[in-house]
Amino acid sequence: MLTTRAAYLFILPALTLYLVFVGLPILQVIGFSLFDWDNGAMGEFIGLANYRRMLGDQVFWTALWHNGLWVLLTLAFPLIAGLVLAAILAERNQRLVQWLGAIYFIPRTIPLVVAGIIWGWIYNPIFGLMNYGLETIGLGGLAGAWMAQESTALLSLNVVGAWTFFGFCVVIYLAAIQSIDPSFYEAAEIDGASWWRRFKDLTVPLLRGSSLFLGLYAAIEAMRFFDLVWVTTQGGPGYATEVLTTHIYKTFFLVGDFGYAATLSVVLLIIVLSISAGAFAILREP
Amino acid sequence: MSKSSRLLQNIILVVFALYALTPVYLVFLASVRSEADLFSSPLTLSWPVNLTNFGRVWTDAGFGTYFLNSVITAVSVTVLVLLTAPLAGFAFAKMRFAGREVLFGLFLAGLVVPAPSIIVALYGNLQGMGMIDTRWGVILPQAALLMPFSVFMMRTVMQDVPNELIEASLMDGAGFFHLFMTVVLPVVRPGLMSLVLIVFLFAWQEYLLPLVVLQTDNLKPLTVGAASLQGRYGVDYGGIAAAGLIAFAPLVVLFLAMQRSFVRGLTAGAVK
Repeated sequence: MLTTRAAYLFILPALTLYLVFVGLPILQVIGFSLFDWDNGAMGEFIGLANYRRMLGDQVFWTALWHNGLWVLLTLAFPLIAGLVLAAILAERNQRLVQWLGAIYFIPRTIPLVVAGIIWGWIYNPIFGLMNYGLETIGLGGLAGAWMAQESTALLSLNVVGAWTFFGFCVVIYLAAIQSIDPSFYEAAEIDGASWWRRFKDLTVPLLRGSSLFLGLYAAIEAMRFFDLVWVTTQGGPGYATEVLTTHIYKTFFLVGDFGYAATLSVVLLIIVLSISAGAFAILREP
Repeated sequence: MSKSSRLLQNIILVVFALYALTPVYLVFLASVRSEADLFSSPLTLSWPVNLTNFGRVWTDAGFGTYFLNSVITAVSVTVLVLLTAPLAGFAFAKMRFAGREVLFGLFLAGLVVPAPSIIVALYGNLQGMGMIDTRWGVILPQAALLMPFSVFMMRTVMQDVPNELIEASLMDGAGFFHLFMTVVLPVVRPGLMSLVLIVFLFAWQEYLLPLVVLQTDNLKPLTVGAASLQGRYGVDYGGIAAAGLIAFAPLVVLFLAMQRSFVRGLTAGAVK
């Protein structure tokens, strides 16, 4: 380890860029939230009045509930799918692992805007593949206007989110499985443990760290996501897919209420920073 | 393993492969079909493929320009990050100085900051700096938002540089910058490659910043172009599919070609 002042010069360019375009706006947003705004001009200091208003804002609570639901859905589907797929692949030959790993990961490389457009077609009530497929297998009665009706909109969007995320989970889990001592599995094999037993009693507990990482990652992403909703439903129908980021965007760019948009931003920041602080505290423990 | 459970496993593997690939295949299919046979036999490829959709969106709908803009923005962001993050990562990994923990903590906090949460202030700042509707107005904030991840990843990468190597060349009287350029960078080249790929990917995928910062159509990237095409060309499915394919095909090709580097980058920090 070197002791040096050159370190500051090394850090300076990255730090400057970061502070000017991320750090400063965070401080400003906190400040903005404490003032009254009129047409983009800062008015008088109103303390926490914007925050009190937020507590009575039904759209805020709906949005927050949707973010929370998004976390649960992500934990329930892509994360578990990733774990099962990785556990299956771990016992297959390297070529297959390479191929399927790559295939599962491809959706992650597709911009969410484009993913939203593609799935918009699949869900289209008139010519979409989803309804077409249901009718083909005789379940035409289940067909619907997936993203356009309140009961299924958020769930339909989550399937798109999962589509871009499960491959990432597979990759992370596979990397972790490959670092597990093979003698664990050899011992289980000798004992004649079934695949399910090995999965339940060995793989799942040994991958606890990765599951924790992915769960926290998913939680933060669930609070941050914007593109997918904005390009498909813009929070609708009604408020059925409203999330915090779309609520902020609308409050700022469409309503022009700077103070309240800043308030919502501060709350979003507090939530993601708390999750990440918790994540570091938990993941640091051995 | 019993035959039936092996079969069940194979079914699971295949179902998820279909889940991943079907939407991609559908877009490809729609992009190479003429308007007339768009809805005939929905899932088979007709031969010869029809490339007029690509020609139409590339020239008439401006996707040639959007593509160029995506390249310019993503490359600029990548270069900017590459010029700054490795230096900072090296300092955090290998140098000792007052305030190291605090400064690194500052970067760590930024790992999770969502762009929508700072846009309320950032927008006004960019206006004040005259950067609204300019490329820099997208490039600089984008690089800044990716900086925490990049610095974090570079620190992890730099920690693997052997201390003996650094000490030996310092003993020879080399300055820190010279040491960094001639000794450190060659050793961490695979890590730099991963950084380049990930930052390029994220910059190419970005939607919110160019959406709010850019107004001139000639400056917009593919993500914004594709999203607006959806509204403008409502029923031109072949055109929208071609546009979507132009927007993501480079990333898919890049990923498949450089899979190892990609995965190493994405799992950096996750597995350690």
